[in-house]
Amino acid sequence: MCSTCGCGHPEVPNGTVAHHPHPEDARRVAVERSILEENDHHAEALRKRLAARGIEAIGLLGGPGSGKTTLLEATLDRLGAEAVSQAAVEGDCAGDLDARRVAARGARVVQVVTGAVCHLDAHLVAHALEELDLAGVSRLWIENVGNLVCGEMRRALLVSTPEGDDKPEKYPAMIAGADLLAITKIDLLPHVDFDPARAIAAARTVKPGLPVIQLSARTGEGMDAWMKWVREGRA
Amino acid sequence: MHEAKICLSLIDLAETHLTRAGGERITALRLEIGDLSGVIPEALEAAFPICAAGTRAENAALHIDRTSGRQLLLRDMEIL
Repeated sequence: MCSTCGCGHPEVPNGTVAHHPHPEDARRVAVERSILEENDHHAEALRKRLAARGIEAIGLLGGPGSGKTTLLEATLDRLGAEAVSQAAVEGDCAGDLDARRVAARGARVVQVVTGAVCHLDAHLVAHALEELDLAGVSRLWIENVGNLVCGEMRRALLVSTPEGDDKPEKYPAMIAGADLLAITKIDLLPHVDFDPARAIAAARTVKPGLPVIQLSARTGEGMDAWMKWVREGRA
Repeated sequence: MHEAKICLSLIDLAETHLTRAGGERITALRLEIGDLSGVIPEALEAAFPICAAGTRAENAALHIDRTSGRQLLLRDMEIL
């Protein structure tokens, strides 16, 4: 025990100025830095690297089952011969089902198994891209359940009708980071309690003027508007 | 899940500044978490003791100021 204060710290010879630190000696240090600074740096570096190669990165964000992979498949189908110039990073907790679905459409795919963490971050994406031949690639798709920026230039947030029209209200942070709200699976509207007006109003409360596209990758409804948005970035 | 990762980033950042300030360990951290940051303060509080174990931020007190907006900041800390 420390004989100076009896605090339980191992004995230190007397005569040293500060024999060991005590809580009352604590000093305050100002930091004022963003906790996500490191991710932001990685994301910015990745964005620059992609831009330098003429690659536009589009983030597809949304919870599991929101229709990210199905929308990407339908998009690749509509891109036709252009599909081979598309690359995709698929983040999944386990397995490569999504990656195989997308690769079957002709796109170059790299799968990131995220384990229990589930979401992708910029560092994971940058490493994943090392495995991908980006020669001739014009667009990179990043599928992600999370909302950490991963180097995308534009981000589409997917909310599917079975998820409920309260999603935008419950996840304002996702809305705040999105450039587009895509309401997916609208072919299911007759069977689910989803009021598109409510979802859109909630989203625009967080982000006024946020573009919204209602679509069904299955029936093709709204896909023209979606494809127009996809192509806008390269115009 | 997401909060555990953010917690590790927080501890990294704090330890970097601790070293810079010539301190030995961190006794308290004060954060500012915006309501649009995507971080749930309660989840961060729950993850913190586990993430901090074995680091120089072990047993540090976590003070969280909630604000509006998207920011996620380490404002300041108390060090020894």
